Amino acid sequence: MKASIEWLSEYADINVEPKQLGDILTMTGSKVETIEEQGKDIQNVVVGKILEIKPHADSDHLVVTKVDVGGGEILQIVTGANNIKEGDIVPIAKDGSKLPGGVEIKKGILRGVESCGMMCSVGELGLDINSYPDQIEMGIMILSKDLENKLGADITEVLGLKETVIDFEITPNRPDCLSIEGLGRETAVSLNEPFKNPRKNLDEMKVQDKDSVEGIKVDITAPDLCYRYIARVVKNVKIGPSPEWMVKRLNSCGVRAINNIVDITNYVMLELGQPMHAFDINSIEGKHITVRRATKGEKIITLDDQERNLTEDMLVIADEKKPVAIAGVMGGQNSEIENDTKTVVFESAVFYGGNIRKTAKAVGLRTEASSRYEKGLSPENALRSINRAVELVELLGAGEAVDGKVDVYPAKQKENRIPLNVERINILLGTNLSKEEMIKTLEKLDIKVENDVVIPPYFRQDVEGIADVAEEVLRFYGYDKLGTTLINAETTLGGKNKEQKIADSISELLVNSGLSEICTYGFISEKDLEKCNISKDNEYMKETVKIQNPLSEDYTIMKPTSVPTMMQMLANNNNYKNKEVRLFDLSRVYKNKQNAIENGNLPEESNVLTIGIYNESEDFYTLKGLVENILEVAGVSKYEIKKEENNKMYHPGRCANLKVGNDIIATFGEANPLLTKNYDITQRVLLAEISIDKISVYARRNKKYSPITKYPVLERDIAMVIDENIEVGEIEKIIQKKAKKLLEEAKLFDVYRSEKLGENKKSVAYSLKFRLPDRTLTDEEVNGVMKEIVSELEKSLGAELRK
Amino acid sequence: MKEQIEKIKANALEEIAKASDAKSLYDVRVKYLGKKGELTAVLRGMGALSPEERPVIGSLVNEVRDELEAKIKEGEDSFANLEIEKKLKEENIDVTMPSKKTSLGSVHPITQVINDVKEIFIGMGYEIADGPEVELATYNFDKLNTPPDHPARDIQDTFYITDEIILRSQTSSVQARVMEGTKPPIKIICPGAVYRSDSVDATHSPVFHQIEGLVIDKNISMADLKGTLAMFAKKCLGEKTEIRFRPHHFPFTEPSAEADVSCFVCGGKGCRVCKGEGWIELLGCGMVHPNVLRNCGIDPDEYTGFAFGFGVERIAMAKFGIDDMRLLYENDVRFLKQF
Repeated sequence: MKASIEWLSEYADINVEPKQLGDILTMTGSKVETIEEQGKDIQNVVVGKILEIKPHADSDHLVVTKVDVGGGEILQIVTGANNIKEGDIVPIAKDGSKLPGGVEIKKGILRGVESCGMMCSVGELGLDINSYPDQIEMGIMILSKDLENKLGADITEVLGLKETVIDFEITPNRPDCLSIEGLGRETAVSLNEPFKNPRKNLDEMKVQDKDSVEGIKVDITAPDLCYRYIARVVKNVKIGPSPEWMVKRLNSCGVRAINNIVDITNYVMLELGQPMHAFDINSIEGKHITVRRATKGEKIITLDDQERNLTEDMLVIADEKKPVAIAGVMGGQNSEIENDTKTVVFESAVFYGGNIRKTAKAVGLRTEASSRYEKGLSPENALRSINRAVELVELLGAGEAVDGKVDVYPAKQKENRIPLNVERINILLGTNLSKEEMIKTLEKLDIKVENDVVIPPYFRQDVEGIADVAEEVLRFYGYDKLGTTLINAETTLGGKNKEQKIADSISELLVNSGLSEICTYGFISEKDLEKCNISKDNEYMKETVKIQNPLSEDYTIMKPTSVPTMMQMLANNNNYKNKEVRLFDLSRVYKNKQNAIENGNLPEESNVLTIGIYNESEDFYTLKGLVENILEVAGVSKYEIKKEENNKMYHPGRCANLKVGNDIIATFGEANPLLTKNYDITQRVLLAEISIDKISVYARRNKKYSPITKYPVLERDIAMVIDENIEVGEIEKIIQKKAKKLLEEAKLFDVYRSEKLGENKKSVAYSLKFRLPDRTLTDEEVNGVMKEIVSELEKSLGAELRK
Repeated sequence: MKEQIEKIKANALEEIAKASDAKSLYDVRVKYLGKKGELTAVLRGMGALSPEERPVIGSLVNEVRDELEAKIKEGEDSFANLEIEKKLKEENIDVTMPSKKTSLGSVHPITQVINDVKEIFIGMGYEIADGPEVELATYNFDKLNTPPDHPARDIQDTFYITDEIILRSQTSSVQARVMEGTKPPIKIICPGAVYRSDSVDATHSPVFHQIEGLVIDKNISMADLKGTLAMFAKKCLGEKTEIRFRPHHFPFTEPSAEADVSCFVCGGKGCRVCKGEGWIELLGCGMVHPNVLRNCGIDPDEYTGFAFGFGVERIAMAKFGIDDMRLLYENDVRFLKQF
């Protein structure tokens, strides 16, 4: 909301600089966005009188003039203008003057004749031709003869072009501040100056209620959406331009002047915050206005020449045959004020804000009116505003007021009453204010306090409860004066939970292992899944969480796996020619399990660690080591690693699941070459997906000391030839099963293949360590165990022991 | 006897002096002091001496032995030192050759800011709360005093899954969940990703991160809020950081404020980062609206509380001098490794 200092000064004496005023108002809640000093870019342009005009010797279209610019100074100016005559008063840009747009005027020679300045047009002064209806666009601006005694005066002073306009960011709870009156009140209270209340007369104005005025009748058939509708009529209207003072004020708020009647509606909206509308009475068929819901298929052409399709949940202002306006949004072309309009119907109405907001959004028209309505306006203000409009018509001599109003007001605006609980306010704020201090502030804001009950005025519907009252008190006590205390309450321990701690220690491990954390979007597209070899019939696809209104087709679903995002980030780095890229991502995946969403429930969201690596010196086993370290850091010690051949995103021969019981808590391995191909990565990619949620379930974080054994270790080596397709894990299982508690460690130290061993055979060698914590083992005991191990290896795996 | 001993000594000393390496010294030791050595033989032959002579000769032999021992040791030490010196000369390396190490990775700058903030608030007794990103509209809006027609819903263009399920547009949704499920006192912060339908540019992203804070207890005041945030600002942005409250409006707090901090780049003098204002807008905050407390089953007559929320990216960008938000999501290792 823009407001000029000139207009605000009608409400309060302003004795501070604009910058300071802005700072003060910001600190009381009307945040200043910008302060614009208009007219600042016009310098050294003065009022001059043309004394003589003579032809130019060397030119048909140029003339040589003598201009009196005051103080006895006469300038010779050459011009091509043809709308001037001797005796005219005009704006003169002198030598070294500045005009809007960075134009500088300098003395010069035009066809051999010296010219010491320039006469200015409306446009050259940066002014809007519409605001100066007496002037012509392609000629010099001709000033009033009254200025003859002000020759040499600065043009910005004379035309009132020097104006400071402050643009405020008004919060949605304060529609009353979307008016000069509201901002004027805030200004007065903030500066601790009296509120001058120049529109006081409106509160006392008596206008008789009538069923019809000049035949105009009003019905509201949707009282849930229209709280009040007032119509007044002015006749013998003379459509014409508005006076300069009004145009200037409209302009200062960024509104263009159109004609006196339309300008009055805009002026009242800016002044009092109530949107107004004006109809030509002849365009209202049957002179019967109905405020109703639109019917199916109904259409209207709005004032901006656009045809709008209406739906049944939109509110319209209609005559007996057709809609003439979309309520609260924009009028219809069919009832527009024309230059020959003789009788005008003014509308001042209040609608339900939520409905206006939806309608404005649906038709794609957010107007000055709708943005005010959607915040909820006061029906009481509607009457003041229509009376102000009629008052202005008479003041401008634009027409004659017809006595009486048609005022349909189905549900009178309720008054809020809030007990003034001084102690509660002080507790809430952390202040120690007296009741008197609070009342003093509230009364300045026109908030009444009667018998310890706070009664906000009609224009402060936002003050609903004690917290709102507290805010009003605090705003003028000063947010900056508020103390800084520390909470004086029960001590809380705080801290991170188990899962958060595990995630932190894993992240630390990964960083120390040389991986960099990435940050990614939660959404991807189905195409990204396809790129990762996930087909339509895959579970991932079936359980996607779809976004109704995606930003683009790249972001249509929430990611059910982080592999596509990880592949994309690796691909980005590959494109940047980065070598040895090692990334991890701690984020969420989302799955619509068992049609949760269709049943109104939330989808499953789980925390997953995703690792992505391309680096020539790493392979499945370095990744496996990293995964094992992760589990160790987290505190998971009992798990099994099993080959996984069916996960489509991975290389079927180089992928494993890490399981606790039957629960898969991680999948890792080489990316399927199809993925690296689809993402244009030339190296092998290693991927791991690890469920942080599941790790947290299985993690045992309590550590306990077990004594370091002082008994000696007994070592045995064992080497065997087995079939190529037997996993060494099988051997280890047998060793563990048979050695039981005696075994301290079984370490694979050699695997080799040779022609001598035969086809599809390999030699595997283990070094075993035996030890007990509480006594010395004997050779006999260990030999016994070794025998059992060997016989089981022979029996189950067909191992051939090498001696 | 004496002459014999003196002779042995003289011979031995001469041989020690001649010794050219540790090995020849060792030979000298064996020759004279070993089990079958010449000096040892003298000791053995002492039985033939008179009782008067024995102690005299005995002590003489010992004296000579000690002297020879000392000389041999001296020689050995000097040979060992020579050996070390030789080694030191040979074993010279180029210390500017590259190291052998696993290079360190890095924590994403957004996570770093979140971690810093967590640490500060944990120190003040806060817990870390969490909630779903795909959220019921009721927790994101309705319970937070933002009914379907509320103009505040206009400000945020929300992603919808269904009419009732959305991508949370603010971490405040976690507030409502925590209040519903916990009896006060409550002291939490909640960091997390939020979603708004903004197109990507240097200062916008459809996904960004917020940190929300909430305290509910008896007699919690707005001054407590200011004090808490003042402390936080000092710890997070530097001891000299000042905080300023300005009135503002949020549907879920009343009174509400926007908090500015003195510019941590220029210290408040005015610079490019603070646009010459000396202040940087940091966060929105306020006293939890009585309607919100009521909606979440907490009696507003018994309890009061405060809430605050801020964007992580903005702080990370200001703190690390990152000028384009897109860098945070491109994950170029040349960018990541700088943190």
